[in-house]
Amino acid sequence: MRFLSPLLLFVLAPLVRSAELPPAVQEGDKLLLIGSTLIEREQRYGYWETILTKAFPTLTIRNLGWSGDTVLGTARAGFDLSPPTAGRKKLLDLVTAEKPTAIVVCYGGNEAFEGEKGLANFVKEYNALLDELSKTKARITLLTPLLHEKKGVPLPDPTSTNQNILMYCEQIKQIANKRGLRYADLNSLIGEPKGLTDNGVHLTEQGYRQTAGAFMQALGFGKNHDYSETLEPVREAIREKNELYFHRWRPQNETYLFGFRKHEQGRNAKEVAEFDPLVSQAEENIRKLLKK
Amino acid sequence: MNAKSPLIKILATVLFLWLPQNLFAQANAKVPNPDPEEERKSFIVAEGFEVNLFASDPLLAKPIQMNFDPQGRLWVACSEVYPQIKPGQKANDKILILEDTKGTGQADKVTVFADGLLIPTGVEPGDGGAYVANSTELIHLSASKAGGKADKTRVMLSGFGTEDTHHIIHTFRWGPDGLLYFNQSIYIHSHLETPKGVKRLNGGGIWAFRPESLDLDVFVRGFVNTWGHHFDRWGQSLITDGAYGEGINHGVPGAYYVTAVGASRILKGLNPGSPKHCGLEVISGRHLPESWQGDVITNDFRGHRVCRFKLSEDGSTFASREMTEVIKTNHAAFRPIDVKMGPDGAIYIADWYNPIIQHGEVDFRDPRRDHTHGRIWRITAKGRPLVERPNLVGAKTPELLDFLKVPEDWTRQQTKRVLKERGANEVLPALEKWWTSLDSNDKDYEHHLLEALWVYQSLQTPNEKLLKKLLGAKTFQARAAAVRVLSAWKDSIPETLSLLKVAVQDTAPRVRLEAVRALGQIPSVPALQTALLALDAPMDRTLDYALWLTVRELEPIWLPKFKAEEDLFAGNTKQISFVLEASASKDLIKPLLKLARSETLPAARRQDLWLLLARVGGPNEFNDLVTEGLKPNEPSYRLQLLQNLEAALRQPSYGKAGKYDAQTLIELAQRKDSPLSPVALRVLGLAKDESQRNFLEAKVTADDATTEQRRAALEGLLQLGGPATRETLNKLVAKDQKPLIRLLAVEALSALDLKAGAPLAAEILATGESKEDYSPLFQVFLTRKGGGNLLAQALENKKIPADTAKLGLRVARSFPADGKVLGDALTKAGQLGVAKTMWSAEEIQAYVNDVQKLGDAARGESIYRRKELNCLNCHAIAGAGGLVGPDMTSIGASAQIDYLVESILLPNKAVKEGYHAIKVTRLGGQSVIGIKTKEADGKLYLRTSEDQEVAIPLDDIDERKETPSLMPAGLADPLTRQEFVDLVRFLSELGKVGPYAPNKARLIRRWDSFEKSNENLNLLRRNRAADAAENPQAYKWSPLYSKVSGELPLDELNRLEIWTGTEPLYLVQAKLDVTTAGRVALKINNPQGLTLWVNGKPTEVKPETILELPMGIAQLTFAIEPNKRKENLRVEVEDVSGSAGRAQPVNGK
Repeated sequence: MRFLSPLLLFVLAPLVRSAELPPAVQEGDKLLLIGSTLIEREQRYGYWETILTKAFPTLTIRNLGWSGDTVLGTARAGFDLSPPTAGRKKLLDLVTAEKPTAIVVCYGGNEAFEGEKGLANFVKEYNALLDELSKTKARITLLTPLLHEKKGVPLPDPTSTNQNILMYCEQIKQIANKRGLRYADLNSLIGEPKGLTDNGVHLTEQGYRQTAGAFMQALGFGKNHDYSETLEPVREAIREKNELYFHRWRPQNETYLFGFRKHEQGRNAKEVAEFDPLVSQAEENIRKLLKK
Repeated sequence: MNAKSPLIKILATVLFLWLPQNLFAQANAKVPNPDPEEERKSFIVAEGFEVNLFASDPLLAKPIQMNFDPQGRLWVACSEVYPQIKPGQKANDKILILEDTKGTGQADKVTVFADGLLIPTGVEPGDGGAYVANSTELIHLSASKAGGKADKTRVMLSGFGTEDTHHIIHTFRWGPDGLLYFNQSIYIHSHLETPKGVKRLNGGGIWAFRPESLDLDVFVRGFVNTWGHHFDRWGQSLITDGAYGEGINHGVPGAYYVTAVGASRILKGLNPGSPKHCGLEVISGRHLPESWQGDVITNDFRGHRVCRFKLSEDGSTFASREMTEVIKTNHAAFRPIDVKMGPDGAIYIADWYNPIIQHGEVDFRDPRRDHTHGRIWRITAKGRPLVERPNLVGAKTPELLDFLKVPEDWTRQQTKRVLKERGANEVLPALEKWWTSLDSNDKDYEHHLLEALWVYQSLQTPNEKLLKKLLGAKTFQARAAAVRVLSAWKDSIPETLSLLKVAVQDTAPRVRLEAVRALGQIPSVPALQTALLALDAPMDRTLDYALWLTVRELEPIWLPKFKAEEDLFAGNTKQISFVLEASASKDLIKPLLKLARSETLPAARRQDLWLLLARVGGPNEFNDLVTEGLKPNEPSYRLQLLQNLEAALRQPSYGKAGKYDAQTLIELAQRKDSPLSPVALRVLGLAKDESQRNFLEAKVTADDATTEQRRAALEGLLQLGGPATRETLNKLVAKDQKPLIRLLAVEALSALDLKAGAPLAAEILATGESKEDYSPLFQVFLTRKGGGNLLAQALENKKIPADTAKLGLRVARSFPADGKVLGDALTKAGQLGVAKTMWSAEEIQAYVNDVQKLGDAARGESIYRRKELNCLNCHAIAGAGGLVGPDMTSIGASAQIDYLVESILLPNKAVKEGYHAIKVTRLGGQSVIGIKTKEADGKLYLRTSEDQEVAIPLDDIDERKETPSLMPAGLADPLTRQEFVDLVRFLSELGKVGPYAPNKARLIRRWDSFEKSNENLNLLRRNRAADAAENPQAYKWSPLYSKVSGELPLDELNRLEIWTGTEPLYLVQAKLDVTTAGRVALKINNPQGLTLWVNGKPTEVKPETILELPMGIAQLTFAIEPNKRKENLRVEVEDVSGSAGRAQPVNGK
């Protein structure tokens, strides 16, 4: 555990009701991870997912992270540049189709660059997103974005960005409290990252590995969940599953398969559904490895 | 053979007939013989050059991009998975390193640097490994063991769109500034998190990225497939596009190009009408001849050609003209897609080797698609020594710096890379010593200094002293490059603004261009004021664009102050009017009006302002516009003003026009045979002034009114609206009215009330009582929701004349989504045979066989040119013709015959990117179908099937929907089978080596032919033939296009006999776009029987006619005497050596 910057102290107020809340994740859950790059790259490396899967072997996880995304679903909009919530609609359609029982939502890091002037809208749109997500009846956890790491020149000094991120996290916490949702505070556990990123912003592969325990703790599962080398085969299998699922939900050539040129090559869209049995097979494999 | 039975004889004949044809089919559509030597032998190589195979399958397959590293090793990104991963397939695409260790000109060592990748579309070595395009990510791969396989992956950026796998990030290039440039294509939407926030780019563009700081910016926006980008010797960006045919483009920082999202104005390419290109390299170095230095090489991958362009200075930009091909062939699988200079001074070409390109129009899983072959070709100049491969990585820093002096761009660029990677601590002391001790008498002294400046920039160490030295350089290109660097260092150089103030007034337009763009990045009023100083020197189109962009970018800064009536421009009317015209803001109307009235401005400038005011003005300006605005008695100006005003009035937000004086409008509305009259009539109605009702009503039925005037008056009444209009219409549709009046009134009534109009329309169609054109009537129904169905219902159990039904069917087919029901009803009512709409695979194949066996391309060309087929109305060839559909210049080389056949018979089956139509329904229920050209300033612009650009205010849009192709089905119905086969044969030859190959010459292809109408001839008789040249706008002309060969066929011209017994004559006109004033040559195939006027002045015709032209559009008029000349006319535009003059023919429809 690292020393916490004094800056962080004010977000460390104890979450009084956190113990009374239902668990973030439990056996048999279909868990969706939603957010921007922090979530998206986790599917590439798989440490967080591996450690979660080890704790709950019957869990099914779908990573729907999309780099650059916001509570409006901005990065998912594709060709639909208006209305501004077009991307969110796509996210929600996907979420509904996946029938989740648990969702971890992680937004705020990108919006925080807007600073104080963007705060009210962030709160409004985050709530709008949660209104929609709650229709799935899934248990929802709000994960904080990470603070930026100070890497020195030529990367920028993150001090002011981090103040903004903390300001946004405070709002996320209030949203969680008001809605009776679990607030998973990575920052109170990790603080300002040290050696976890190579660009100040995004966790490296090792960064995910080292924060896997903090991730579990933030979700409310106590301290003893560090990643160990013996899990490597499981993690490999999880990464393979993630890659297959990525081809399923975010295939290349979407324009031709499902978009405005589907009248030309849409006949090839049937191939995309053929990834479903492959994903299931990969999941079987994960479970088999876990039993070993 | 002694045939034993007739059967065997027949079989043998069949076999004989079948065999060669099948072989031919193979050459056309199947993978040809993959032997590289077979391919090489098919190359027609530029004289004095030769081509050898550098590397080939199985060493590599499907190369997409290649780049050399400083050691001279060639890194190649290869994808066998393209276009789409199959379920269960393991993505195993590779980055290969090819080495020519023995210096034989052939790769003898291959290293698989990385595998397991998914469609890597770009690779650029650097920073101890390579940057690689990896679908949604830009990654850096490196190996812990030198020479080994990559085992470390660093994700540099993630969040790139993958909407199309030939659009995903590509064309990686180091810039001289140390930035990594890479591109994304039109369908891509990217969202990238950086330490400074999320960077987003929707649509195409070029990114500039500094890996160490993750600084990421958009360098230019737009394009369709920017598959080529490189920097010339002085750091200017040159760009090619693989789906947009304007040849070489000059990349101006921050500029918007075709398709850019949100752009209301764009920069165009330098070679309009040129085929599309992939890859771009600038020629330099001692191995290649002097005459090739600075030329640009790019690939026409559709037409199997490696092309060369020569650039020359043209004001602030370049003029570009195509030279003889470096390689051309008809080998169906030769697909040159990348080009790079190599360490030995030779040119390297990546050949993707595939008979099929594209995966939008051709099935992902088409079996003809090649996944296993690929070649790298090497082009050398015969008898010229190669360049010695420089040892850069082994050189000590001071020696390394001296490589910055060599003539090879390759070596200098790689040297900068090595210096950059050695880092500031190692390099800076030596660099300081190096540039301060350079020989100032060296002819390349200033270029050496610039190289040093770029090294400082790569190392992110501003050097003010060197920068200032270069800002004062003698060579203007050096000053321009220095301004670009100053822009990057603006936060570190305290005097940036005053330095830019000098630059913006430089004698060289290129320097002014850079300064204007740099100022757009400084958000302050003084920056705007400084930029506007550029107006004191002559402007050209590119400079005008740059300044417009800067004014737009700085609008958030100056607009609030200007509105608060701060005096920002010290009364400089030239500056104010530029700013007002550039701005999209409605808040500027008052100052605009004031300026339009200002006596101090020249009349032409004021007219521009009135035109602008007509566009953006509101009800309060209406009276000013129709009185003062209409004063200047110039027909084309008045027409434009009224058209602008009409468009403004039609916006739902316009409101009711204020009180006005209608005198001028009425005077214009009453004119006979004037294009002004119908617009004036509509404007009177749109102004919603009840007092004009009687005038409009009278005009509908007036004895001397033209059909157009009647229709416009009815439209005016519709716009006036209310029960009175309905009453009038009810009267006018009565049976006792004249057939024409009745028809027009039914059109109008239907527009108002489809249900009421439909039975009347059906009745009129059934009687066929009017001889008038029924197309507008059909259109009224088809452009309104449910209209097609209502008319169809009304036609039930009715019989209509077959010709009327055919006409209606033609109109209905232009509305693929809604026209079907009406089309069926018309077929029934007209008792027409049901047109064929389905073809089996065998039928298509039979066509393909006939095209190959029986098709005649020359006959096909004359069919393509037939007016009634309308081909040229929509599809230009080499830029001459309509723009609705794709240009056909190299269609035959890129598309398979089956694709051509299907595209004509079934236009909706596959639609070229950028040509997808949308249907926009306006709030009033009326719909417009067209291809989106841009969306900016609150308007959506569509190009309709009539090749007109229509602007629809976004607040007037109820719904937009994708709709099938604008190309109507059934176009080939009137053709016989042989004609159809000839037509396809012609198309299939376009772009192939032979008589229909793309022509490099700047030929005049777009002509206006003098119409042979009585009015036209009478007017000419009253004056004299020369009057057509002096006052062309007074006469009617119709467009005509040269043949692919460039010849204008005399037998398609209108033969005029001005007086009985006088010599017959043809009159044609063409326009030149002169971008820099000066001398320009016309190369005329034969001066016999020709008289020429240039801008109305008689000019002697010689085989090479030299013209001295001012900047702007030049009008050429030819009189051709058929008794003195039988030969077709062919005119080519050429530069005159020693003159700055630059011109090119005006193309288009």
